[in-house]
Amino acid sequence: MTWLLMVLAWPVQAAWTWSEALTVNSVQGAAVFPHLESANRQGVAVSDDTVGVAWEDNRDGGPQCYLSTKSAGTTTFAPEIRLSQSECYEPVVVALGGGRFVVAWEEAGQVHARVLPDGAVIRLSQAESAQVTLATGAGKLYAAWAERAGKFHRIVVAQLALTEDGLSVRFAQPVEARVPKDGQSWPALAVAGDGSVTVAWEDRRARHTVPMVSHSRDGRRFTMPVRLSDKKSESVEGLGAGSGAMRTTLSAWGKQGVAAAWLDKRDFLAGYDVYAALDGGKRRFGRNLVVQDSFGDSMTQWHAQIVGDRQGRLLAVWDDARDGSPDVWLADWNGKAFGDNEGVPAASGPGAQSDPVATLDAAGRLHLVWLDRDEATGTRIRYARAVRK
Amino acid sequence: MRLFRWLLAASCMWATATLADPPRGYPFVGFDAGLKAARASNKPIFLYFGRYGCAWCELTNKKTFSNASLKKLYLDNYELVYVDAESGKRLTLPSGERITEAELGVRLQAFATPLFVYLTPQGDKIMRIPGFKTVQDFRDYDRYVRGGHYQQKTLLEFLGGKS
Repeated sequence: MTWLLMVLAWPVQAAWTWSEALTVNSVQGAAVFPHLESANRQGVAVSDDTVGVAWEDNRDGGPQCYLSTKSAGTTTFAPEIRLSQSECYEPVVVALGGGRFVVAWEEAGQVHARVLPDGAVIRLSQAESAQVTLATGAGKLYAAWAERAGKFHRIVVAQLALTEDGLSVRFAQPVEARVPKDGQSWPALAVAGDGSVTVAWEDRRARHTVPMVSHSRDGRRFTMPVRLSDKKSESVEGLGAGSGAMRTTLSAWGKQGVAAAWLDKRDFLAGYDVYAALDGGKRRFGRNLVVQDSFGDSMTQWHAQIVGDRQGRLLAVWDDARDGSPDVWLADWNGKAFGDNEGVPAASGPGAQSDPVATLDAAGRLHLVWLDRDEATGTRIRYARAVRK
Repeated sequence: MRLFRWLLAASCMWATATLADPPRGYPFVGFDAGLKAARASNKPIFLYFGRYGCAWCELTNKKTFSNASLKKLYLDNYELVYVDAESGKRLTLPSGERITEAELGVRLQAFATPLFVYLTPQGDKIMRIPGFKTVQDFRDYDRYVRGGHYQQKTLLEFLGGKS
């Protein structure tokens, strides 16, 4: 018994060494509400040694989108740049070289993009559209969003080109040509090392929400969508249509692979869990993998993101309240499974630390951004960097 | 578990292709419209937190919300709000914060659907009730909420007092 208690009490060996946390947003207050939500949770990117963080908050009286950067050698984030002029939601950011970024967002019911620091804003679609995301790889830049087609939205993928004054849309087309018969939303996008494009999204054609995925060698012609989830849930004795799943994220992983993670309610007594699946390069995802460990298995997980890089590093981040209040957790892929869950020191403890977004830089350092909520003083957007031990 | 199996088996006769949207015939509205209506009418809010394709929601719709007198009770005395647990549709909390319907589930710690939340006309949470409930359960909750008992007693204390 004593031995068992010692084992249970033994702290998980932390795999990462963390920097001191910094505050990203310069304006906070009890009535200012920053959000890091976006399609594919692309809220942080690193261009060379410059970190860019995108978010939405209401400091100006309504929801607007902002970007702040921190250059190498500086210890603070620069004053944020406002990206939008009217109601704005769910901004995303990806890195170009040389300290430049591409940001995209929804504004006034349409999706827009811009190169920063000096590009012009372009509208990506003329139709009603939302939930835009971006991905780069193999020298290409892609965007995906949910665009109205008839009664519902469908997923559109576009290849973007860098121009003298910023960006242009090289081509854009729906993943499926036919008008959808039920909702498609929250696209995630990844460009693998071989230049192929993988897009995943929430799909309701099965009369419940299912993560679907499709691939394209050239970004134009996509394969027939298939389920990411390997458990085909159905109605229970004639009731309902199946369990829920939502907010799929994708990341390029290794030389040619793609990794996915999403929130999955197949164990309906424990709320959403984080599930993952890996595609080593065959453009077919393998069996689903449980990400959280047994200490988090009975808890509801939220805001999950898969984070990989070309060197084959892979991890997942999310938040859950297994210790009594929301904290940010991560799990590293060890080649066979996701390992013991590791709390992020600056994003743990009393209060609510949630909504993580993360990226790995070229040197394998992990850049993590999250919300630190305090109803009295306002919510801070926090940033910390970690190196693997 | 046995009760669940029995309920599922018993409900097979109603099995159709209908899904776990709000129960038919109830004028459920979105969160913002419901909060606005509640402030005007001074009625409490009955928030149904459902999920597309949710079996338990469909069971509740068919077994419980099909009851005509319960329907009248809730239509007469509540502003009815339906929220989709996985939706990106936006709503505005009483604090002024704009979030998605799915994010409301995070704030409500909604681990299961259906989740029923009773709110004051100002949008403050009175209580949250997860899972399938009977007609009598909803009658009890109504007495607890509209009787103002939640200000003095927990729901368990109130229900204990009933028996």
